[in-house]
Amino acid sequence: MVGRPLEGIRIADLTAVWAGPYATRLLADMGAEVIKVESPNNPDLLRALSLLPAGTEHAWNKSAYFNHNNRNKFGCTIDLANPRGKELFLELVAKSDVVIENYRAEVLDKLGLGYDVLRRARPDIILVSMPGHGKNGPERDFVAYGTNVEQLAGLASLSGYVGGGPQKTGISFGDPVAGAAAAAAVLLALIARKRTGRGQYIELAQRETLTSLLGEYVVGYSMTRENPPRIGNRHPSWAPHGCYPSSGEDEWVTVACRDDAEFASLCRVMGRPELIGDSRYATADSRYRHQDELDETIAAWTRSLGRMEAFEALTAAGVPAAPVLGYRDIYDNPHLRERGFFEQVTHPEAGSWDMERPLYRFARRPTSIERNGPCFGEHNAYVFGELLGLSEAEIAQLEKEGVAARTPNMSSHQ
Amino acid sequence: MSALEGTRVIDLSTGIAGGFCTKLLGDFGADVIKVEPPGGGGLRDFGPFADAVSAAETGALHLYLDTSKRSITLDLGTPTGQELLARLLATADAVVDDRPLGNLESEGFSASRLSADFPQLVVSYLSTYGQSGPWAQLPSTNLTAFAVGGQMATTGDPDREPLKNGGSQADYQLGLNGFTATLAGLWAASDSGTGDAIDVAGMECMASTLELMLNTYAYAHIDYWNGRKGNVLSGVLGLYPCENGYLGVHAMPRNFPALARLMDADWMLEDERFRDAAGRLAHDDELRAMVYAWASGQEKHAAYERAGQAHAPVAYVHEMSDLFQSPQLTARDYLQELNHPVAGELTYPGPLFRMADTPSSLRRAPLLGGHTGEVLAELGLQPHDIEVLRGTGVV
Repeated sequence: MVGRPLEGIRIADLTAVWAGPYATRLLADMGAEVIKVESPNNPDLLRALSLLPAGTEHAWNKSAYFNHNNRNKFGCTIDLANPRGKELFLELVAKSDVVIENYRAEVLDKLGLGYDVLRRARPDIILVSMPGHGKNGPERDFVAYGTNVEQLAGLASLSGYVGGGPQKTGISFGDPVAGAAAAAAVLLALIARKRTGRGQYIELAQRETLTSLLGEYVVGYSMTRENPPRIGNRHPSWAPHGCYPSSGEDEWVTVACRDDAEFASLCRVMGRPELIGDSRYATADSRYRHQDELDETIAAWTRSLGRMEAFEALTAAGVPAAPVLGYRDIYDNPHLRERGFFEQVTHPEAGSWDMERPLYRFARRPTSIERNGPCFGEHNAYVFGELLGLSEAEIAQLEKEGVAARTPNMSSHQ
Repeated sequence: MSALEGTRVIDLSTGIAGGFCTKLLGDFGADVIKVEPPGGGGLRDFGPFADAVSAAETGALHLYLDTSKRSITLDLGTPTGQELLARLLATADAVVDDRPLGNLESEGFSASRLSADFPQLVVSYLSTYGQSGPWAQLPSTNLTAFAVGGQMATTGDPDREPLKNGGSQADYQLGLNGFTATLAGLWAASDSGTGDAIDVAGMECMASTLELMLNTYAYAHIDYWNGRKGNVLSGVLGLYPCENGYLGVHAMPRNFPALARLMDADWMLEDERFRDAAGRLAHDDELRAMVYAWASGQEKHAAYERAGQAHAPVAYVHEMSDLFQSPQLTARDYLQELNHPVAGELTYPGPLFRMADTPSSLRRAPLLGGHTGEVLAELGLQPHDIEVLRGTGVV
């Protein structure tokens, strides 16, 4: 065992909401010391999304959405619009390896904290910016939140039922994608710095990053000059391939046959071996042409079973299949539970509950959840005192003057 | 100079997840050697094809995902193929494998042998279910992975079956996470000289990204929603049909004033039904009706431009043709032309992100086994030995 993978790396984290905090969560989970910096007057929006009853005391410290995405981080508060706040932040930068932000394109420069300023504080600093559109171009200042990114990237146009319109994904899909990519950007810059001795600026345009996850459609369009049709749960060449109803209320099972052998297994499991020799289904091409009928045949079978029964019978026969799991199913999932996917955490104000563990499992460098999502300003003393050398009286003065705070002004999220 | 110059990665993957992971490693400068079975297959099987006669070299999926790699063919079912892989691994920093659990072990490379014989190596295993647990052995595809990850249950219309995202988003998410994890492994190994084995499970990556659904349920057993809400979650968050396409609205409380002004409905800012978030929630049906009515009369390009200037969070759904004509992507030179000796000149997405000091670059996808001779020669094999291997079909 040789310590966590990113032990010794410090990150000053200006990000809020989801994409940016997801990036620094991944890095914090692997052992980086992430110091989340929030504004007293503009706390992280996720603190407002607790769904707890109105009047819950300190609800901003109990938002699960916030606490899951910010665990393993330290949290302090600095008003960057205040000259003293800016000074303190630059002192923190001087002691950090990385700064990461997900403001709109012009904001960091307007705060007077552009890359050149940061580099004066720390010559080999790495700065990652993750605006929606990028820092230049005619749309750079356009607002682009989570679901806008999938519309701009081309993903929404590829999603949708056969013959229907484009479909919104079930989550703000671009956010965790940009987050995982931004974590990679930090790591690449660290690897490069080791050889060059230099930090660098990295710009991640979220819409471009997401287009990377559908690149074959870009290349394909340059071949065909035709927008691809929406094909729902179907596959461009495999059949059958779909999502079928099971006996349970709004319960579904997916089935995918990649070749003749898997199709034959499916037929046997359904008790329909005669379909194996049926000329309509003899080859991938012919199955593809007749997949409407096949879908009806499969649905007739799955309707008679629970989704788990169908899943178990099919996968035991080597056919890719899986139940559609909702978050409740995932919470109770025996496979994930046996893998230790959930770890119990304890939070000083919010109590104890189960949280998903760090995603990447390193055999020699184990990781875990070591600290709770920070309460608002929880580590002001650590950051201003231990790291920056301020006295208790000076920290109290900062909090009195509103340069720092322990109680957020939530009004911008109402 | 590139970020990963001097880093060698062996790619044993056959799927999109591993292919995307190693494409990114290659684009950022690693020497990625993709080991393919002598018959080809894998990513090369999927169209559209630039040239039907030379399908194995010209499929869009292969051309995109195999950029910046070298290709060698090796029959890993033979002792000679396994011996050559061992020699390759001895020169490598990382290996990426997205094949079913147990494949690499059956080829003679168990976890214990890998850590004993190649202690420097970062071994990244990419799979739906991970390397342990009761479901680890089960067959899986992009569709079934998307189903168990929790995202599918929330996607689609309430009165229809759950819907997967377009393309292969379960595989791509796994590949992207595999890329990040492999980089962390390389970073840690560069300090200590000690590699690692990394287990990345797509199901877990997706289950961790369910917005506030799983976390709020885990914490307080509160159901934010169970099931699917189609294209419109609320009046201020949804996809709305417009004159020539679809507009996407995603307004946080702070953006509502800009949205109201964009809709020429400034009066809503004074109206007690709409002026704060609680009021809007209580009168969501009315709000939806107004947004539907407004959107239906809008031309998508003009509405997007006006919204952008007004800082209102409204975008339009870009089809592939819109990406090719986007003023923003054009101004940023995002799409890139790349020539390929068989497929010809085609258009590719640009970098995942832009590194100022060590930028990525795209090199065209390799022909099947196009670097076999070159790579074997680097391992010290003589031309005669390589000819013998070709004769036996190992390469």
